[in-house]
Amino acid sequence: MRWWAVVEILEDILKAGSRSAGEVEVYLVEGRSVSAELKRTVVSKSIGSRHVSLSIRTITSGRIGTSSTSNPADWRRCLEAAVASGKLATPQAWNGLPDPGPLGGVDLSYDPALDPQPAAARQMLEAMVEGASRHPVQVTAGSASMSVGSVTLVNSNGVRYSRNQSLVSASLEAIRENSTGYEFDTSCSCDFDPALIGERAGFLAASSVNGKDIPTGTYDVILSPLAAAQLISAVLVPALSGRNVHAGRSRLAGSLGMQVADTAISVYDDPLLPRGLGSTRWDAEGIPTRKIPFIQDGILGKFAYDLKTAYRYGAESTGSAVHSGSDGLPAIGHHNLVIEGPETDLMDEPGLYVQDVVGAHTANPLSGDFSVELTNPFRVRAGAYESPVRKAMLSGNVFDLLFRTTGLGRDRRTIGSLIIPSIRLKDQHIIGV
Amino acid sequence: MSGVRYYDIRHVQGQSTHIDIDNGVCESAASSFFDHAVIRALSRNGWGILTVDNFQEMGKGEIESLVSRAAAIASICSEDVSLAGPERGSRDVPPMGEDPRDVSLGEKTAILLDLEHSARIPGIINTRVNYIERFEKVVFQDSTGYENHYEICRSGFGIMAVAARNGTLQMGYERRHTIRGLNIRHQQDLAREAAGRAVSLLDARPARGGTMRAVLDPELAGVFAHEAVGHASEADLIQEGNSVLAGRIGEQIGSGVVTIIDDPSLYEFGFEPFDAEGSATGRTEIISRGILANYLHSRETLAAVGNGRAGHARAMAGEPPLVRMSNTFIEAGESTSDEILAECRNGILLKGSRGGQVDPGRGVFQFNAEYGYLIEKGECTTMVRDVSLSGEILKTLFSIRLCGNEVKMHQGYCGKGGQSVPVSDGAPHILLDHAVVGGSGDS
Repeated sequence: MRWWAVVEILEDILKAGSRSAGEVEVYLVEGRSVSAELKRTVVSKSIGSRHVSLSIRTITSGRIGTSSTSNPADWRRCLEAAVASGKLATPQAWNGLPDPGPLGGVDLSYDPALDPQPAAARQMLEAMVEGASRHPVQVTAGSASMSVGSVTLVNSNGVRYSRNQSLVSASLEAIRENSTGYEFDTSCSCDFDPALIGERAGFLAASSVNGKDIPTGTYDVILSPLAAAQLISAVLVPALSGRNVHAGRSRLAGSLGMQVADTAISVYDDPLLPRGLGSTRWDAEGIPTRKIPFIQDGILGKFAYDLKTAYRYGAESTGSAVHSGSDGLPAIGHHNLVIEGPETDLMDEPGLYVQDVVGAHTANPLSGDFSVELTNPFRVRAGAYESPVRKAMLSGNVFDLLFRTTGLGRDRRTIGSLIIPSIRLKDQHIIGV
Repeated sequence: MSGVRYYDIRHVQGQSTHIDIDNGVCESAASSFFDHAVIRALSRNGWGILTVDNFQEMGKGEIESLVSRAAAIASICSEDVSLAGPERGSRDVPPMGEDPRDVSLGEKTAILLDLEHSARIPGIINTRVNYIERFEKVVFQDSTGYENHYEICRSGFGIMAVAARNGTLQMGYERRHTIRGLNIRHQQDLAREAAGRAVSLLDARPARGGTMRAVLDPELAGVFAHEAVGHASEADLIQEGNSVLAGRIGEQIGSGVVTIIDDPSLYEFGFEPFDAEGSATGRTEIISRGILANYLHSRETLAAVGNGRAGHARAMAGEPPLVRMSNTFIEAGESTSDEILAECRNGILLKGSRGGQVDPGRGVFQFNAEYGYLIEKGECTTMVRDVSLSGEILKTLFSIRLCGNEVKMHQGYCGKGGQSVPVSDGAPHILLDHAVVGGSGDS
């Protein structure tokens, strides 16, 4: 089915849906991508992809129904399933889908010049291999991908929003003996140097060889942006969801206005950030997005709400609805979650630098307790890596970590939907030998 | 279709249903529809792969054009690929007790509301049930004219209960997934078990980190087999030089009591009638009495690496196949659970799992137990919570001293390369000497 035909049927769905439901919303995502993969230093796979996904939500007397399909031409079956689903949902307080607003402007997360082509993906792979070759390592795997697409949201109140988006990502894995290194980057355009990704992966693998054991004890730890993002995503992010707060699944419930982190730490969603990977002027339900200060100078200021949760608990949507899965449901999330504070040099004092952690997803999201294995840990001193550590675990609690920071690094970067610097922590429990 | 040495097409269409009950509220009970295909063409340069939606609507001409386009994008590759086999064949999908499609969404929702309500015991502040049902019709065809197909329905549920006291939160969780039909009836005891555990965990202490003897229950020992051995035996990693198990076939890498199997032909949650390349599935003994015996293979890795059989290529709908585990387990030994506890004498019993992760090139893994008990003089005493273990693949397998005499399988999903596929892991109880336990407590 051609693209313009797909757009035309959105109006048909709204028309047909309005006959069987009080309100109708349609969310359409389409796009194309190319990617290429390395096996050692050889380009081994070239992948082209086209995808489309249509989600329908209906609301009748506070009963919300949903469905989705990968075939827009099959929208009648999808609409029928959404209406049927609404009949089973428990009715809730509902004050309507949003009306249209003046939300135009240039696309925030889109490079119109990006044209996904296999040859460009190959060039990125070659540049990463060249970067890694500056170190005595073997490349084991790598990938490069580029995608462009669009998101369209329409509803029966007259909302007709559309935006383009693009994404470029590259990653490389390297090994020396049994020491591994991994690095990656993502952007909405080809504005990063793939050779630097390769160089960093090679450096991590090469310089972690011959690690020494470390005694069990208490250490000052510097979490890289990647390591910090893994722990924060596993525990802090779900605790900021209004739904989890009201359901009794967040340790931060009841802490609004209270100090939940060191005064140097601020955490906010910045949906309007130019070139942010999650940037958008409207959320997945058509609510205008804005900066949401979750934690300001250590004080908990807000939780994230979508419309459904906001109506149910008498709160206001924070424009935090995102389409995360394929089941047709918008859910509470964030767009570009920024962790911010005064930045300083973190490696001047002795400490243990941690590039990544193994098993962050096994952290207890309710209590915040975690124990993870460390990847590429180094002892640091006087601003530099001193010596690699062979193997160690870090045990602690994510909510407590937020009170043990002694500085944020100058290396803030994008890790998935987070924008986060490295974080220095005092008195952390390390299990070595 | 010039320059195409081989092509295959895997087309998956179907319907998924998801029901979410949270604190007595039916948040959603919805069905969605999908139709995805992957077209792989092997040219002299390597693989060109296209993924498309709504393949059902495409005619013969369009399919030929897709194969040509897949071959054309392979022009950027520079790998001379050989394929082993093919060994074709198929196992029947086992019959379902009660077909989930015969039970209305309304009736399922009512059963789940009742199940969720059963977890509401004193001390519990939140209960939640998730139900997933996914019906897939899979058609495989290749350039030799071979074609095969199957239909399978995977369904199951997870129940979570949250207990709270004085600002402390703990959770208990149970899940059951199956290919044998609707499994949500008469599960109230399981819901109460999850809730009871959440309440008990409020009084559990954090474990003390360090090296100690540990007994793993079948669920956790299954995750151990998956993380510590399974991933590192996937031959795509072997071929990349990214596994500590590369070049060690025939080598003793663990104690003689350890035999570890992966078998996608078993009627467990990771069952595949045939794999994502159309290969027949069957049993692969990865470790045989402590000796590394085989790797897990696709047709390509079998030709390149050797040692094993193909039939371990798996894929999410609309994604290219990867070498994956399916049903992975440690074979039963001869010890009873009581003998294992007595032999441990002083250490820790670890139960349940929130998953794990491995760096196969470095040979280091981590996995997590939901809870456990200290073992003192052969008896279980104080309850502990949030216990992780880490280890080195080439050392830890030697520290398995005993294997119990009864294997139990648990279901889950495994992530690799951005794809998530259904798996089961299992084991008997096992006793580990020198387990590295992570924990910040002093108990």
